[in-house]
Amino acid sequence: MNKTLEKRSMGLRASRAISNTIIYIILVIMSIVWLIPFICIVLQSFRVESTWQVGYVIPQKWGWDNYIALWNSDFKKWYLNTFIIALVVSVIQTFIVLCMSYTLSRFRFKMRNGLMRFMLILGMFPGMLTMIILYRVLKDLGLTQVNAVPGLILVYVASSGMGYYVSKGFFDTIPKTLDEAARVDGATRAQVLTKIILPLAKPIVIYTILTAFMAPWGDFVFARYVSFGTSAGMNVAVGMYGWLQLDQIGQRYTMFCAGGVVVAIPVTILFMCLQKYYVEGVTGGAVKG
Amino acid sequence: MASVKLTNVKKVYDNNVVAVHDFNLDIHDKEFVVFVGPSGCGKSTTLRMIAGLEDISGGTVEIDGEVVNDLQPKDRNIAMVFQNYALYPHMTVYDNIAFSLRLQKMPEDQIYEKVTNAADILGITEYLLRKPRALSGGQRQRVAIGRAMVRDSKVFLMDEPLSNLDAKLRNQMRAEIILLRQKLDTTFIYVTHDQTEAMTLADRIVIMKDGYIQQVGTPEQCFDMPTNLFVAEFIGAPKMNIMKTQLLRENGRYFVTPFGSKIEVTGEKGQMLAKKNVPAGEILLGVRPEHMVLADDKDAAAIPTTLEVNEMMGSELHLHVFTEDGTRLIVRVPTIGLESGERESLVRGKKINVTFEGKVMHFFDPETEENLLL
Repeated sequence: MNKTLEKRSMGLRASRAISNTIIYIILVIMSIVWLIPFICIVLQSFRVESTWQVGYVIPQKWGWDNYIALWNSDFKKWYLNTFIIALVVSVIQTFIVLCMSYTLSRFRFKMRNGLMRFMLILGMFPGMLTMIILYRVLKDLGLTQVNAVPGLILVYVASSGMGYYVSKGFFDTIPKTLDEAARVDGATRAQVLTKIILPLAKPIVIYTILTAFMAPWGDFVFARYVSFGTSAGMNVAVGMYGWLQLDQIGQRYTMFCAGGVVVAIPVTILFMCLQKYYVEGVTGGAVKG
Repeated sequence: MASVKLTNVKKVYDNNVVAVHDFNLDIHDKEFVVFVGPSGCGKSTTLRMIAGLEDISGGTVEIDGEVVNDLQPKDRNIAMVFQNYALYPHMTVYDNIAFSLRLQKMPEDQIYEKVTNAADILGITEYLLRKPRALSGGQRQRVAIGRAMVRDSKVFLMDEPLSNLDAKLRNQMRAEIILLRQKLDTTFIYVTHDQTEAMTLADRIVIMKDGYIQQVGTPEQCFDMPTNLFVAEFIGAPKMNIMKTQLLRENGRYFVTPFGSKIEVTGEKGQMLAKKNVPAGEILLGVRPEHMVLADDKDAAAIPTTLEVNEMMGSELHLHVFTEDGTRLIVRVPTIGLESGERESLVRGKKINVTFEGKVMHFFDPETEENLLL
């Protein structure tokens, strides 16, 4: 009796070890596949013997030349543009999304369901459809080309209210009695949001900030037509795209790689700092569980 | 410390369901009032209207003479304890209790004093730096009570605070709430579905059903003189035995004839029947299980029954018996009064006779189910 039990538990342990091993092998292979292009770009950015594309990966001569050239080009301006846009958009958009989610999660008002359904349908149309009319409006407002930065901020922020789904879903899981307890304790609705809901929804707040930052950081389409060939209004994606044109790629290829590395740095840092909140669940112990 | 007055309070939900009809109640300063009733009777809704967590569809709620219908919960100066504790999970116990005081912008040294004082009373001092998830159910409920205590609010509302605790802890916390009440000396409104809690805690009980108040009275009043059949069956455990029978009137004396027996109504109840000049006829007779006794079969008052279930409660037996026409009765028999061997002989299928005294009966109208003595 005991022996068969022992055998069975041994078998269980063995099969668990095997499946873990297989999972880890797959994960390692996948990470290598994903990391190769990035490593190549980093290596290319330190290559100084030539500026074109070459048939090997490891540079023959290492140096900071590409980064220095980057510093002396328009890249500085583009980078600043992108950074300002992404920062402002992430602040405003996070604020709007969280307020929207709180309202839709906690308040019951007429047309609440109608509004949510309307936004769901509206969200099904691709944003690109609005391109021509948006350009017209921005042009009339004088927010294109040199003034592309405020123009782009307006475009990115305008529809942020519609990105409430994920955070509203999360807010819905926070028990309403917490709101009620806080309101009885003397909190206003705004204080309920800032002191109770947001600390409990930290992972989702982080997620909202990250997505709000990432979208304008990597945007190309809107940025390209709003800046419309004016270097001062470009973001990094649009500006660096110019370096890939036939007439420039020969001199700019390694600089392009260096630019790519510099663009990846803030996002990587952001992710590494905020990553732990993704995994952390904080609602335990709120109500009897 | 304040009085609470509800006048014609009504609650209608959006889907036109009426949860509370025309609720009128005067709660005096420092009174402990318990709303009790089965689930869905509107007791929690009424409490939440007093707290300001539900809109009031009609009527007025006054706290200390001031109409609070349109005040936010935070402006009503009330404290509330919730069934599921509703502790802020991201804060320590100390911060949970201090939350309302910080919102009032009270200086930290005063907050410290109040929080430690409350923790001392509730015996949770050693947990002050823990998060709620590291506490047991009873400890969490203490924290919730502590959070309500420190506010010096006018009214203390409790919404089924003990329902999530296990039976043993519930008894213990019930005793602690009685002590707490003596210490705080403020107005309490307490909601429960447990009649034992209502009986033990309340100065006055408000018994509700389907959104209507059935009876308002002291525990003794509700127990001794229930206004109707619902209250009679709801208050007291196990519930009152109800028998359909004839009320006879012979020479000014009243008799009931349940299941072929004949028992005279004596004592106060007999006098009241005569005074009210209640006519003879069919009635619903109520007798509490603890007032029923085992009888001799020669007794004219004996009701022959068959034992179905014998529940051993320790100090007493709960005998579930069936009369010849299939009516189920419950008899509470103290074990101390049984002779040796008698307890063992009470097995399923045994024929036993039961009876009750003439002074312990309740009489209800079979149509309206109202108490005939009121």
